[in-house]
Amino acid sequence: MSENILLEINDLWVTYWRRSLLGLKGKPFHAVKGANLSIRPGETLGLVGESGSGKSSIANTVLGLVPATSGSIRFGDVELTSMRTHYPPAVRNQIQAVFQDPYSSLNPSMTVEDIVTEPLRVHTGMNRSERRTRAVELLELVSLSEEHLGRHPHQFSGGQRQRIAIASALALEPKLIVLDEPVSALDVSTQNQIINLLYERRDALGIAYLLIAHDLALVHHISDRIAVMYLGHIVEEGPSDRVYKAPAHPYTKALLDAVPLLDPEAQRRRRAARKSAPAIDAPRVSTTGCPYQNRCPSVMPRCQDAMPPAYPVNGGGTASCFLFDGGAVRHAPAIGETA
Amino acid sequence: MTVQSAKEFKTARRPRRRLSASLVITVIATSVLVLLAILAIFADWIAPYDPLKQNLIEALQSPSAAHWLGTDDLGRDVLSRLIHGCRIAVIAAAEATTIAVLLGVPIGLFIGYRGGWWDWVVMRTVEAIVSIPGIMVAIVIIAILGAGLHKAMIALGILYSTSFLRLARGVVLAEREEVYVRSARVIGASDGRILLRHIFPNIAPPLIVQVTLTVGAVLLSEAGLSFIGLGVQPPDASWGTMLNTAAAFMDLNWFLAIPPGIAIIVTVLSVNLLGDVIRDAVGRGIVVGVKPQTPAARFETFASVAADSPLPPRREDEVLRVEGLQVMVSSREGNEVPIITDLSLAIAKGETLGLVGESGSGKTLTGLAILGLMGAGVRTTHGSITLNGRELSSLTEKQMEKVRGNEVAMVFQDPTTSLNPAFTVGSQIAEVLLTKKGVSKKEAWERVVELIHRVGIPRPEERARAYPHELSGGMAQRVAIARALSCNPSLLIADEPTTALDVTVQQEILDLFRDLQEEFGMAMLFVTHDLAVAADVCDRISVMYAGEMVEMAPVDALFANPRHPYTRGLLRAMPHASDRNPPLPTIRGNVPRPGFWPAGCRFSNRCDFRIAACDTRVPLVGTDRLARCVRAGELAMEVAS
Repeated sequence: MSENILLEINDLWVTYWRRSLLGLKGKPFHAVKGANLSIRPGETLGLVGESGSGKSSIANTVLGLVPATSGSIRFGDVELTSMRTHYPPAVRNQIQAVFQDPYSSLNPSMTVEDIVTEPLRVHTGMNRSERRTRAVELLELVSLSEEHLGRHPHQFSGGQRQRIAIASALALEPKLIVLDEPVSALDVSTQNQIINLLYERRDALGIAYLLIAHDLALVHHISDRIAVMYLGHIVEEGPSDRVYKAPAHPYTKALLDAVPLLDPEAQRRRRAARKSAPAIDAPRVSTTGCPYQNRCPSVMPRCQDAMPPAYPVNGGGTASCFLFDGGAVRHAPAIGETA
Repeated sequence: MTVQSAKEFKTARRPRRRLSASLVITVIATSVLVLLAILAIFADWIAPYDPLKQNLIEALQSPSAAHWLGTDDLGRDVLSRLIHGCRIAVIAAAEATTIAVLLGVPIGLFIGYRGGWWDWVVMRTVEAIVSIPGIMVAIVIIAILGAGLHKAMIALGILYSTSFLRLARGVVLAEREEVYVRSARVIGASDGRILLRHIFPNIAPPLIVQVTLTVGAVLLSEAGLSFIGLGVQPPDASWGTMLNTAAAFMDLNWFLAIPPGIAIIVTVLSVNLLGDVIRDAVGRGIVVGVKPQTPAARFETFASVAADSPLPPRREDEVLRVEGLQVMVSSREGNEVPIITDLSLAIAKGETLGLVGESGSGKTLTGLAILGLMGAGVRTTHGSITLNGRELSSLTEKQMEKVRGNEVAMVFQDPTTSLNPAFTVGSQIAEVLLTKKGVSKKEAWERVVELIHRVGIPRPEERARAYPHELSGGMAQRVAIARALSCNPSLLIADEPTTALDVTVQQEILDLFRDLQEEFGMAMLFVTHDLAVAADVCDRISVMYAGEMVEMAPVDALFANPRHPYTRGLLRAMPHASDRNPPLPTIRGNVPRPGFWPAGCRFSNRCDFRIAACDTRVPLVGTDRLARCVRAGELAMEVAS
C-alpha cells in the first residue's frame, strides 16, 4: 500500500505562537489539529474549507514554508517533518507550487525567462541556451510562446500570469504541485481556462495535485477526492462525486447549501427553507468535542464530550461525525436542497 | 494588459510635452554634473591660478578681469579655489556614499531577512545613532579618527550608512512576505540567492533615490565639517573652507560667500533631479499594476459614442435614473479613453438591480459615478444621473456631500478596510448620524445600538464598543451595512459586498440585504462579478461588458433564456453550472482593456456567433428586456427550440 502513496500526512498539527512583548512564545493557536491525508501518484486531492480552516497551513507545511508542530508528512520514502523547513534538493525539485495571487506571485523585476528558468538554475546544470530551449517548451505547454520570454510580469493579464506561474512549476517535472487557490483571483471566463490547463497537464505528465480552494463546486470538477476542513480538523473526506453529490458531514452540507445557484427560483425556495429552519443557538465554542457543534442542526449531547473519529461513509470516504457511528448511515436533515 | 496591447504600446508615439520636460531637466542636470567631473579631473589645467598661491597685496578684491570671482583674504584666486574645490566635492561625495552603501545595504539585507536577535541588536544601535544629531555623531567619530578629508568622509559614511541600512531592511521585511519570495523558497533557492537575485533588484529604485539624497547631504555635511575646521584642512581649497573664510570676512567682502554657495546649491540640486529621472526610468520596468495605454487606432471615436440605448420607461416610484452615461479616463499620455459608454438604467423603490460583469467592465465605476466619487483623471462627459427627481450634476460639491450618506449610501467589498481601525464601530455609525441628521449624542447612540441589533449582531451594546479588528469579516460587513442604512437612504449601492466573505457568511449577508430591503424599502444597485449571487439577491440584472450594457432582463428570464452570447458564456462558465470533467466551457481570449475595444460589437473578437454585421456598432434593443447583439433574436429561438 505505502509504495502506492505519494504523500501521506498523519496526525499533523501546526501551531503558531503569538509573540509576547519580549519576543517570547505567547498563546498558541492551533491552525491544524491532527489532520490525516494521503495522495497517490497522479491523483488530485481537493482540500476545501473556509478562511481560517487551516487548509493553507497544510499547504505551507507540505511545501516546507512552515514547520509542522507534530505528526508526520511522508513524501515517498522521505519523512519531511524531521527536516523542518530545510528540504534537500532531491525533495525540493519534486514538490512545486502555484499560489493564489498572480499579481504578487511573480517577481516584478524578473523577466518571464528568468521566472520560468529559475528552478532550472537552482536544480540543474543546464547552460543558458539549454535553459532557454526548455523555457520555450514550457511556455508552449501553457499556450504562451517564445516572444513572451523577454517581457516583465506587468505586461500580462491575470490569467496569463497564472500560466507563467504554472510553467515555472512544471519546469522540473515535479511529482506533486500544491495549488493554493490557483483561480480564485481570476475572472470567471479565465478561471476555466486555467482549470482546463491544469487538468490537461496532469493527464499528460502524471502529476499529483494538492488543490486548496474554498469553492467546492469548482474543486469537484478537477479533483479525484475531496477533503473538507473546519477549524483545523478534516471533517469529511471521500471520492469527489460522493462528497459533492451526497455530502455526509453536516458542515459539508451547509457549505454546499450556501453556494449560490444560477437558478433564481431554487434560491427563493432555499431562502424560504432557511427562514423556516429553527435558529441554532450559538454559544461559545466548547473547548472539547466536535468543532462544529454550535452551528450544527443535528447536534447531540455526546458531541460536547469528544471529537468524533472518522467513521466510514456509504459510497466511500469518511466523516468525523457521530451520526455515522456504528455504520448506521443516517443523513443529517437537509436545509433546503442541494443542486 | 494583454500581450497584443503591449506590442501596440511600444509602437505608439510618446507625447512630446512630457518627454521634453523631463529631457530638459536631464540634460541640464547631467551637464552640470559632467562639468563638475571635468573641473575635478582637470582642475590643475583649467584653473587660471594656483589655488594656494598667496598674494597679500591683492587680498579681498572684487571680481575683475584678472580675477573673475575676485580674491580672498590671502589674495588667492577664488575661481581657482572653486575649481579645485570641485575635486574635493567629488572625492568627498564618492567616498562617503560608497562607504554608506557598502556598509548599510548588506547589513540591512541580512538583518531584515534573518530577523531575531541580530535584527534587534543592530536596530537598537542604529536607533541610538539616529537619535543624536548627525553632525555630533560625525564629530565624535572624527574625534576618534582625527581630522582631515578622508577621515571625515569615513565618519560621514558610517553616519549615512544607517539610512541605507534602514532602507534595505524595510524593503526586505516587505519583500520577504511577498508571494514570489515564497515561490522562490519552494523552488529551493538558498537564502543568499533569494536575497541577491529575488529581493535585491527590487531595492534599486529607492536605493537610487537614497544615493542621490545622500550625495547631496554629504556635500552639505562636508562643507559644514570643513567650515568648522574638522574636514578639509587649510590651506587646501574646498567649498566648505571657502565658506569658512567668507564668514570671517563677511563685513569686508560679502561676495566671497556667493561662489561656493551657488556651487553647492547647483550641485546638490542637479544630483537630486537626476536621481528622480533615473528612478523613474528604472521604476518603469518594474512598476506593478497596469498603466493606462494609448488607445489603439481601432477605436474610431474617442470623443463620444452615440447614445442609442432606449431610455428606461418612466415609473412613479423611480429612485434612480441614469441616462446615456459616458465616463472617460485620462491616460498617461494625456488623452482620454472612454471606460463607460451609453449607459442608461433606472431603479424603483424596493427594487434591486444587479450590475454584473468581469473586471474592467465598468460596473464598479458606474456605482462611483452615481456617488460622484470617481478618482482623479476620471470624469463624466455625457449623460444625466437623477436621484429622487433631482439631477445630481447640477448640485454643488457641498450639496452632493449632503446627498451622500443621506439619500444614497454605499457598502464596499472589504469591510476590514472600509471601516476605520482607529475608532469603535459604534462611533463610526454615530458619526454619520451626528453629521447628517444632527441628532443628539444620546439619541445617536441609541439608534446605533438599535441598528447594530437590526443587522443581526448579538449583544449590540457590547459590540458597538468594539474596534473593527475585533470583529470577524461577516460581522464587520454587518456593521458597514448598519452604517450605510443609518440615515435611511433611498438608494443603497453595494459593491461586491460579499466577495471577501466565506460562502456560509455570504449567504447570511445576502439574506440580510433582502430582509432589510423589505423593511426599509430602499432601491439597491448591487454590483457583483458572481452571477449566482445576483440570481439570489436581484430583481433585474444588467450584464456589463467592456464599458457598456450588453443585456438587461428580469432575473428569471435572464437565467432561463440569456440572449447575449457573453451572458451565455458567463453562465456556462460558472463552476456549478456544469457537472462534468474538464475541459470546462470557456470564453476564449481576455476582456479587452479600455482603449482596445473592437469597433462594432465589443465582444465580437471572442464570440462564436460573429457575422459581418458585428463589425459595425450594435445598438441595445428591446422593450421589457434588452440585448446588444444583432443575432439576439436567433439565439433566443435556438435556446427555446
